[in-house]
Amino acid sequence: MNFLAPAAFFFALTIPVVVVFYLLKRKRVVKLVSSTLLWQKFLAETQASAPFQKLRRNWLLLLQILLLLLAVLALSRPYFATHAKSSQLRVLILDASASMQSTDESPSRFEVARKQALEWVDGLRDEDKMVILQVAANTEVKQSETSEKSALRRAIQSCAAVDSPTRLGPALKMAESLVRDRGKESNPEIHLFSDGAVPDMSDFGNSALPLIYHKIGHGANNLGITALDVRANPDDATQRAIYTSVSNFSTNALQTELELRFDGKLVETRPLTIKPGEPSPQVFLAPQTRDGVFTVHSTTPDDLAADNEASIVSLLPHPVKVLLVTRGNRLLERAFRSVRNLQLTVAADSADDGAAYDFVALDDIAPTVWPKGNILAIHVSNTNWFEKISEVEAPTIVDWKATHPVLRYVSFDNVHVVKSLVVKTPSWGISLAESQQASLMVAGELQRQRIIWIGFDPLESDWPLRIAFPIFMENASDWLNPANAKSSQLLVRAGDPFRLSLAQPVTSAQVTMPDNSIKKLAVDANTKEIVFGETFRQGTYRLRAGTNDTVFCVDLLDAAESNIKPREELQFGKYARVSATTLHRANMELWRSIAAIALAVLLFEWWYYHRRTV
Amino acid sequence: MANALLTPELLRRLEQFQLLARRRAKSSARGERRSKARGQSVEFADHRNYVPGDDFRYLDWNMYGRLEKLFLKLYEEERELPVRIFLDASESMGFGEPAKFHFARQIAAAVGYVALCGFDRVSVVPFPENRDEMAVRGALRAVRGRKSALNYFQNLGYLTAKGTANFNESLRRGALEARQAGMALVLSDFLDPNGYEAGLTALVGRGFQVNAVQILAPDEIAPGTFGDLRLVDAETGGVQEVTFGKYRLAAYQQMVQNYCQRMKEFCQGRGISFFMAPSNTSLEQLLLKQLRQAEVWG
Repeated sequence: MNFLAPAAFFFALTIPVVVVFYLLKRKRVVKLVSSTLLWQKFLAETQASAPFQKLRRNWLLLLQILLLLLAVLALSRPYFATHAKSSQLRVLILDASASMQSTDESPSRFEVARKQALEWVDGLRDEDKMVILQVAANTEVKQSETSEKSALRRAIQSCAAVDSPTRLGPALKMAESLVRDRGKESNPEIHLFSDGAVPDMSDFGNSALPLIYHKIGHGANNLGITALDVRANPDDATQRAIYTSVSNFSTNALQTELELRFDGKLVETRPLTIKPGEPSPQVFLAPQTRDGVFTVHSTTPDDLAADNEASIVSLLPHPVKVLLVTRGNRLLERAFRSVRNLQLTVAADSADDGAAYDFVALDDIAPTVWPKGNILAIHVSNTNWFEKISEVEAPTIVDWKATHPVLRYVSFDNVHVVKSLVVKTPSWGISLAESQQASLMVAGELQRQRIIWIGFDPLESDWPLRIAFPIFMENASDWLNPANAKSSQLLVRAGDPFRLSLAQPVTSAQVTMPDNSIKKLAVDANTKEIVFGETFRQGTYRLRAGTNDTVFCVDLLDAAESNIKPREELQFGKYARVSATTLHRANMELWRSIAAIALAVLLFEWWYYHRRTV
Repeated sequence: MANALLTPELLRRLEQFQLLARRRAKSSARGERRSKARGQSVEFADHRNYVPGDDFRYLDWNMYGRLEKLFLKLYEEERELPVRIFLDASESMGFGEPAKFHFARQIAAAVGYVALCGFDRVSVVPFPENRDEMAVRGALRAVRGRKSALNYFQNLGYLTAKGTANFNESLRRGALEARQAGMALVLSDFLDPNGYEAGLTALVGRGFQVNAVQILAPDEIAPGTFGDLRLVDAETGGVQEVTFGKYRLAAYQQMVQNYCQRMKEFCQGRGISFFMAPSNTSLEQLLLKQLRQAEVWG
């Protein structure tokens, strides 16, 4: 048995009041009369002489009728429909991302959202149905379509905020699919309880979603770490350069002390004053003698704690071993040799799978044995990486992906190519440089093998004469270096799964969480990869799989999430937008108030009855 | 004592009245009422044949002259009208402001005075019995003559309302005790739990010309006490709990009116003159107008 309003049991406290009324003994006045004959006849005539009597204007009768009317009205459960339209299906999306942990609302935005969501459940009519979705990095269906309020309440109570960013898109797609099949007469609604810290949702520009956005939160006092990276110091090989960025999302300038720790030991403290709305990029230089974890921590307390700390695993740099398979290309050799900390081996052919090298560069040659490691393939046509390879004369490079790590600081301005192989961009990679016809350069990962494919021979272009060429080789060496790839894998955004390739099968694995709790993983004996998805909390995790001991870090590092200022409206593409609603709860039921009035009328009637007979 | 019951002015006006009997008097005592009996008076009634032994003084000599036969002249005998007053002296009659019993005695005094002035015999029958008042009640059993009026009033004044009455039984016994039927006046509140019908019927059956006066206290017609009441019957000691408010006053009055109406219909059906008089009614109004209009006296 469930109760819509358990608080109504407090009305039971009035029962003793009624009992007290009954305990009051009616004091009768004793009177000596000549005869009781007339009184007996009077009582007999008025009480039982006739089944019906003429209605008189009796206040008691009127009060009792009023009481009955109120009781009937209360039982009919009336409500004002001014706040909530009648609906048969409501999809309730609860934002459980990191920004919802902000404490500008007491106790937190998420708890306020949960409270409002519960109020909506209370206001649900019996015939209405509701779906509960929790959205953070992933969308989770907490409760499928039901009208059972207890189940809906349980689902909302089971939701919990995590340290991950908001990815609202999948949740909205799911909600859209739920409401799409409903006719307009059913008037479905999607209720989003969020602070609006969501990424771009241009995909929904033309969806005309029946979305009602319940804005949660009011403050923006937050200082957040939005970027963290670690690299070798170009000037001193024994040192590591830790790059971080702290952004001030509040409206006032904030001061903080930024601490850098290595494996928990304080390395450096740096006082900062950051202007409102601006980031403050910082570079720390620190010596490193062993693999470890660098942690950056902002000491100033603010509304959101999840982004005050970020960690990154830093592995000691090792020389990159490269096998260049070429018929002879001095420009390429020089470019490789200019790369710092790189050991180059040049060969005319590759007779093994190149396991001894970090990556293999193929210069216009197809090796006898294809390497299993990462590959830089230059003007190589006989591969199975692409559906079709064609050749074009004097292609013009019209676009290149400057944001890709391989093309960082690399420009193809005034680069001319005599002829080049071109391909259609495969699904496993992205096009780095494009001509008008097709892609000239592709980078991607195929079956855990990183590949950079360049369609033209640099010797048939003026690219090697540009400053961009050695920079490209440096970037490519970094990107293809499996150690760097591993380093990047050891930094996981909150909510994203952590993947670990296994050289040999393991039988058991366990993860030590940031709070030192241990979570055992079920591992299939034949699996070659462990995927750990419970990365909801920021911090350092330790995965032990067989003899393999791996440390990885989970960070928020999301400027959109750290900007906790609640959005007044959600932008859907260029034109569509949804403003925050001021609605807080659904059907405002009146029966409790009416029942209270009825109780008052009952008490008045009782009092009136006693007063009248005295 | 007469002053306490009736004022001299009222007595003077009452002297002008005479009780109107619907039937000829059947009493054996001589009086001033016409009767079927033959005797000595100035009213000629009939002739009859002379038989030896008759008084020669009553022979009609004129008839003998014409018919040469002896006839005797007969005259109507004038008899008295027995007036029997049944006075309810039960406990319940002591209530009211003014008291019902006092008002009943005033009526009894007035009717008795009119009867005494008309040389009729007045018998007052108070009920229930009260051994303390045996002498007084004995004196009221048969009162005749105008000169007895003072004693009559005094004895009425000595009566008190006390005890529990059995209305029907008292009237039935009174009817049987009467040697001749005459006029009967019943003064009571008629609030006996056993009813009044049997008693009145007995009187009518005995041949009485019955007049009934129901005397109720003003408080019995329109009670002025409200609330949760425990009513104790003064006669029977019975208890009746009642919750009474002003809003039920009209219903109560309607009930009293219905009760009186039923009684009136009962009396009319048996040739009984019925009067309802609250104890605060003006005595002159009742005696000089209502009773006169009802041809109790004229």
